[in-house]
Amino acid sequence: MTVPANMGTDILRFARIEMREVDEFRVEGRVEAVEHLRGANGAVRAGALLTILDSAGGLCGGLASLPDGWVVSTNMSVRTCSLEPTGPLRVESLLLRKGRNNVVTTVTISDHVTGRAVLDGVLTSAILVPENGPPVWERPMHIRYPDDIASLSMDQWLAARLVDDRTIETDLRDALRNPWGILHGGVTAALVDAAVEHATAGAAVTDVVLHFIAPNRLGPVRARATLLGRRSDGTVVRVEVRDEGADRVTAVAIATAVPAEDL
Amino acid sequence: MLGYPPDSHLLRDLQLSFDHVDDGPSRAWMPIVPEICGDDGTVRIGALTTLVDVVGGGLAARAAHPNWIATADLTVHLFAPARAGRVEALARTVRAGRTTVVLEVDLRDDERDVGVATMSFSALPRRDSNPDIAVAMQPGPTTMADAASRIAAPLCDLAGIEIVDAAAGVVELPVLDWAKNSMGALQGGVVGLVVEMATEAAARAATGRSLAVTDIQCSYLAFGKVGPLRTRTDVLACDDGHVVTRVELIDDGAESRRMTVARAVATESLR
Repeated sequence: MTVPANMGTDILRFARIEMREVDEFRVEGRVEAVEHLRGANGAVRAGALLTILDSAGGLCGGLASLPDGWVVSTNMSVRTCSLEPTGPLRVESLLLRKGRNNVVTTVTISDHVTGRAVLDGVLTSAILVPENGPPVWERPMHIRYPDDIASLSMDQWLAARLVDDRTIETDLRDALRNPWGILHGGVTAALVDAAVEHATAGAAVTDVVLHFIAPNRLGPVRARATLLGRRSDGTVVRVEVRDEGADRVTAVAIATAVPAEDL
Repeated sequence: MLGYPPDSHLLRDLQLSFDHVDDGPSRAWMPIVPEICGDDGTVRIGALTTLVDVVGGGLAARAAHPNWIATADLTVHLFAPARAGRVEALARTVRAGRTTVVLEVDLRDDERDVGVATMSFSALPRRDSNPDIAVAMQPGPTTMADAASRIAAPLCDLAGIEIVDAAAGVVELPVLDWAKNSMGALQGGVVGLVVEMATEAAARAATGRSLAVTDIQCSYLAFGKVGPLRTRTDVLACDDGHVVTRVELIDDGAESRRMTVARAVATESLR
């Protein structure tokens, strides 16, 4: 598989995640620098955590899929466990199941110092065969990106525009694409988080179920949030993601968010 | 499994009724009776997962026809209590691909919207033992209930769910014919009920408060066909009115195979 310049690698640079294949079907990672990933309440934003989950779970699932193919995310279901500020993060992904057409991985993110759980989730990915064959990696795999670009906040990284009081959109620039050349799943998840935050006046996302329906190839990519209901611990929101250039729905998500005044 | 469901079965006793439209959404209804409610008088999320699994499974099977389907994951998020009349589930297809079907399901009782569910299914080669969906899902109103169908005891008791260690969130159950799916394994919605009971037990033990489960995310990894089935529960976060758990369901009789990984949230928020 030929990886176009920057595609995929910039996602990991943004998250500053170092990942290592520890043994068969297990990937561990660390995120040492998290200051640029924090939201208004000081905790790492759910969108950044989802990007880390997609990267770690995707790598674990991809390695498990070799030599048959590589993976593309199809859905994630995630629960954050803490809205408290955390230090450096520890990431672990394990293979739960490998079928003929898909792989299921679990991802846990914890505070590297306290060990406290920060996120628990599952990523399901489809196994596809790239046009030029599956990627060839040096094993065991170790990905460490040099600290050669400025740390961007999630808002700077997404560069999303406000469309109306419930909708945001971003251009599909190359730095947001994955090795398949389409919008990285972690970026889609971060857009969902940003759309919820925008539509709920700064609420913090705690729970996301995201189904990837179709690839985002053209852009701009637009995320529109609809409030479904409120309860005492948060607001339940549906988000629809569309590739405006292709005029189609590309993802749907259900999220729960804690109001800003409760943070 | 010919003649699914058998005469004595969960899907009959819940008195579910359906209305299918060719190439359109599916609706199902479940009467609200005390036996499917928790001690707060609202419908258990584990009863709702069963309703969602059935109506979603039917719609997904139609979308995947002539192949058959297996539930890959199911999530439910509640934002209001269901307690009036009956629960309606409106299921619509979001994506129907070669290997995967994705659905959304809106839930409401007779008075208001109460929650939303999502499901995805893997398409499988059809076996002779699978129901013929073209016959089983005729357009128009149908029901699986017969004159004798009713929930005669609390749903969790009928499913055989026993709390083994409340503080640790360990519950156990056999795989009863009454609660099997058409593949001969524990019905996917009932797995949601098991996750609910494990979380409810752990959350109440951890907080000393009468919390109820409002959100469930289930990822199905393998069928539970042998039993007994047993949960392992980790409390990931806990404060007075809010608990997050991770629950694994293990088939002890099948070399302790991991069937399901789930996350659940228990709160006081819907009262």
